[in-house]
Amino acid sequence: MSETQAGSSIRRSSSSRAGSARKPKPNQLPFAILVLLLLIAAGIALQAFGFGTGWYLVTGLIFGYILQRSRFCFTASMRDPYLTGSTLLTRAVLAALAFTTIGFAAIKYGYFKAGLPIPGMDYVVPVSFATVFGAFIFGIGMVIAGGCGSGTLMRVGEGFYMQMLSLLFFIVGSFWGAHDFGWWKETVINKGFEVFLPDVFGWFGAVVIQLVVILLIYIAAEKYHEAKASADAH
Amino acid sequence: MKEVMLDCFGEACPIPLVKAQNKMKEMDIGDILIVSIDHSCAMKNLPDWARGEGHNVEVEETGDGEWEVVIEKVK
Repeated sequence: MSETQAGSSIRRSSSSRAGSARKPKPNQLPFAILVLLLLIAAGIALQAFGFGTGWYLVTGLIFGYILQRSRFCFTASMRDPYLTGSTLLTRAVLAALAFTTIGFAAIKYGYFKAGLPIPGMDYVVPVSFATVFGAFIFGIGMVIAGGCGSGTLMRVGEGFYMQMLSLLFFIVGSFWGAHDFGWWKETVINKGFEVFLPDVFGWFGAVVIQLVVILLIYIAAEKYHEAKASADAH
Repeated sequence: MKEVMLDCFGEACPIPLVKAQNKMKEMDIGDILIVSIDHSCAMKNLPDWARGEGHNVEVEETGDGEWEVVIEKVK
């Protein structure tokens, strides 16, 4: 990165710069090789269990790598519009949703065409008050904890100790949620209505409508960003 | 011209950003704010915000997973 170069355009006093002298770094390469070998061993061991668990590890690692390198943050995508007026990450999430819309529709349509059971239909669940309420408390929680589910896991992996605490309560909360889920499902969730867009609009219509909605939100996000930026300038 | 150090070690995003925003309001033009962070997310959004505001920004990696964001207030 160019901004980390020593050639500084901002003049700082030498006293503050001396305090920030680089600490000696241990060579990380042996650890990297060791971790890589352990991961390969873990992958092979998991694959032996069946269910393709080894491949889940591979896709999980790829997802985590991309998440860490790109500094993609679902929390920031929802929070920054209020905090800084930036919708950069919001638009990144919308772009990701647009891509996955096309990809998942293609996969599902392929199975549908072949007369096979469509994969992933277990995730078509009723929309109810629980969705709204759950999203609201999750939103509060993730901003306080400094990360959503994937973000917390990624930052624990990076070595940010504070979020070990988030992870602990993330696990506690998940167990609690799983424990009470039956009650929620019976009394709240199943009273909602279930929508699978291709059933309503047809396959082509569903994809087009979803992409148009995403595009409209994208344009709104861009306009919001510009409006906020020019409001700050005055 | 004065320099203000802001220690945000151990603080998750967005706390470093909010602290920096509040600090910048108290500072005069030409002052420099140095924010120490160890949360990778803040390493992204803090410079993004400050550049968006039109300030001069530099990021220095001072250690493994530790950064200093140097912001010069220009307006």
